[in-house]
Order: sequence, then structure tokens, then C-alpha cells
Amino acid sequence: MKDILLKYINEQFQADDPIEAQDDLLGEGILDSLGMMKLILFIETEFELKVPPQDMTIENFMSIDDMATYISNRK
Amino acid sequence: MNFSLTSEQLEYKNKVSDFASANFGGSYVKQDKDCLFSRADWEKCADFGLQGLATTKAYGGSTDDVSILTATLAMEGFGYGCRDNGLPFGLSAQMWTVQYPILTFGTEDQKKKYLPKLASGQWIGCHALTEPSSGSDVFSMETSAKKVEGGYLLNGTKRYITFGPVSDVILVFVKTNPKLGKWGMSVFIVEKGMKGFTAGPNRPKMGLRTVPFGDLFFEDCFVPEENLLGPIGAGWAITNSSLEHDRCTILAGQLGAMEHQLEETIAFVKQREQFGKKISQFQSVSNRVANMKLRLETSRLLLYKVAWLNSVGKSSMMESALLKLHLSENFVESSLDTIRNHGGDGYISENEIERNLRDAVGGVIYAGTSDIQRNIIAKLLGL
Repeated sequence: MKDILLKYINEQFQADDPIEAQDDLLGEGILDSLGMMKLILFIETEFELKVPPQDMTIENFMSIDDMATYISNRK
Repeated sequence: MNFSLTSEQLEYKNKVSDFASANFGGSYVKQDKDCLFSRADWEKCADFGLQGLATTKAYGGSTDDVSILTATLAMEGFGYGCRDNGLPFGLSAQMWTVQYPILTFGTEDQKKKYLPKLASGQWIGCHALTEPSSGSDVFSMETSAKKVEGGYLLNGTKRYITFGPVSDVILVFVKTNPKLGKWGMSVFIVEKGMKGFTAGPNRPKMGLRTVPFGDLFFEDCFVPEENLLGPIGAGWAITNSSLEHDRCTILAGQLGAMEHQLEETIAFVKQREQFGKKISQFQSVSNRVANMKLRLETSRLLLYKVAWLNSVGKSSMMESALLKLHLSENFVESSLDTIRNHGGDGYISENEIERNLRDAVGGVIYAGTSDIQRNIIAKLLGL
């Protein structure tokens, strides 16, 4: 799961250095609003789940590790 | 593909249109000139159940299940029948940027306390996001919340807030974790009368003059802990959650107004004579009418598509940006064409033709400017 997320984020959000699973995507400005919406759409499609607005929090989307935990809990 | 509406949907749309026409189909020259908001009109809409479309019956609403498609059709009908573009704009603003976030993110106590009063028209609510230095770059806001015993102290200024001067309840967006930028925003529910909160006067504007806009000031405004909406850091999710509902219904109101505008223009050019014949027989006039029809129908297609995508839980990032850009710009163009086709009559305020143009200009600015929509579209295209 983390590999899928890493591949998507590295392809979509070309940072100077490759993004790692524990990197802070929000605080470091890697994800903007549109990027976050695209990422959520990707997660919904790829992992066949619906992310309700209430779950779109920093705790769930700060890093790829956080996203993986969130997705695992939802599965 | 099937874009046809069910008989129930059409019936409801017509019912709303008839209601709007009967109650708000008259002259708005004075209200527009004097920037008058009518609380009585607001309450009539609530009695009819319009504000209730964004709230479920359990909290005083008029629906079992909030439906973007129903609300879009209702506001299209409303925009067609109502001659005041400010009223449908204000309705959508409160319904989707105040009621719906409380319905989606609120605690049980918050829902019970605020939603019945908002849906019944007893209270008016506003969404306080923009600031003096944060317009399109809205998340660069400076208003902050500092944790203190039992709650938070809010400090900052909000600018150009729809219904700001008359609101009883305000959703205030603040920074709670400045290091996280847009991801460190939270929302508090502030009530009129809370110490440290003041609302500025109505700021007269070019169009939509029947809806008060104003600034809000927070100076060590204490807000109890229970007035936090959603978790800390949920600001982005809250403002994002209702964006498409808000967009669809505001634009639906404009679409209804465009349809009415087209019908009035056709009636006028078919009876007005110059140089010994009806002006509809001049191609320069009839071509403008044809363009108006094209703008109306392409706008409607995009609007229905976005509403439908949302109603079936599909993403509409691209379509939504295309819709906002297309419909709002089209309303400006068609309003200009209407004035051109009416000649001098179209330029005189008392004839209530030019008002649509002034109202339409706001549409290319609020809820994401046309420039921002083009940026989104380009970015989604990988540019």
C-alpha cells in the first residue's frame, strides 16, 4: 500500500528529493489544495473506499505513513 | 446518458419558480438603490422550506436526505422567478457554507442549537473566511485562535463577508497551527453578542446590493471549547466539503435568471420597431439572442453534469471549475447583450435591465475568480 502511495505522490508532485513515507507532505507544502483533492480521489479509486469530509484531517494525511494507517483502518 | 428530469423533480422546480415569481417577481429598484436586505423575504423563503433543503428533518430541515440535485433545480427555478439576484445568492451562501458544514461536522448539541434556527429563518448565518490580505490566497489568513482555559481567544479581521452585518451566527476560520499553513486551520462558531466580536456596517457594492456584505472584527473574543466545529485542523475539510453544493446552487440561481433574461429579450426584440421593422429582423440583434441561447444551454449542461456527478458521489474537480468559469462569464456576456438589444432602455436603472449586469460581475469574482478557475483547469490538464 505504501509503495502505491509513494509511486503516485512522487510521480504527481515532483519534489526536489524523492519523497519518503514519513515526510511531512502538508507542513512542507508538497501538497496544495488541488493536490490533496487529487490524492483523495486517487485513494478512493485505488483502494475502493470513500473518504468522507470529516476524515480529511492532518492526522490522516500528514504523511504516507499516516495515509497507510488510515486506509488500513478503513479497510 | 440520461439528463432528463423526473416528473417529481420538474414539478418541484416549477413549484419553487411559481413561489418566487409570486413573492419576488416585482420591482427591486428601491431595494437595489438603497442596499436594503429584506428579513421578511428571508423568512418567506424559510417558511416555504428553501433554507431547509440544506438540513435534514431531524434538525428542522425540509428533507430526509440533503440532495444537491434537488437543491440545484430548486435554485434554478428560484432564479427564474425571483427578480432579485441577491436573494438566491444569499440563500445559497447560508445553506451550503453555514448549515451544511454544521450538519456535516457539528456535534449533536451544535446541530440542535443552530440548525433549526437557521432553517426556520429565525437566525442568519455567515461563513467568515476571507481577510484584508487573503482573497484568492485565502489560506494565508492571519486570524488566530489561542488556547485558554475553557476555550479559545480569537483575534483578527474578516473582510467582505456575505451577511456579516446581519448574522446571528458566524463560522470563523482561524489559524490554530500557523506552521501547517492551510492544513492548520480550524473553525469556531461565534454568536452575535459574544464579547470581543463586532460586525461592521454594510459595505455598498456594484451588484447583489440586497445582500449585506461587511467586515467582522475579533478582539480577544472568547469562544468556549464546545463551539469548535469539527476537530482542530478541520478548516480545509470544512470549507471544501460544501464547495460544490454552494457552487451548483449559486450558479443555478444565475442560470434561472439567464433564462428569464433571454425570454424578456426575445419578447422585446419581437415588438420593438426601428427603421420600419421589428428589430428582431436585424441580424446584429438576432445573432446576439442566438448567442444568449447558446450560453444558456451550454451552461445548463455543465451545471446539470456537476450536480449529477456529485449526486452519485463522483469527483467533479474539472467539471466544477469549467462550470464556474463558463456560467459566470456567460451571465456577464448575456447581460451585456441584453443591454445592447434594449438600447437606451437597457441602460436606465428604473427599467431593471442593467441590474443583471451589475449582479453578474460579482460571479466572476466570488467563490473562486475566473482566473483561479482557469488555473485549476490548466493544472488538472497537467500544465
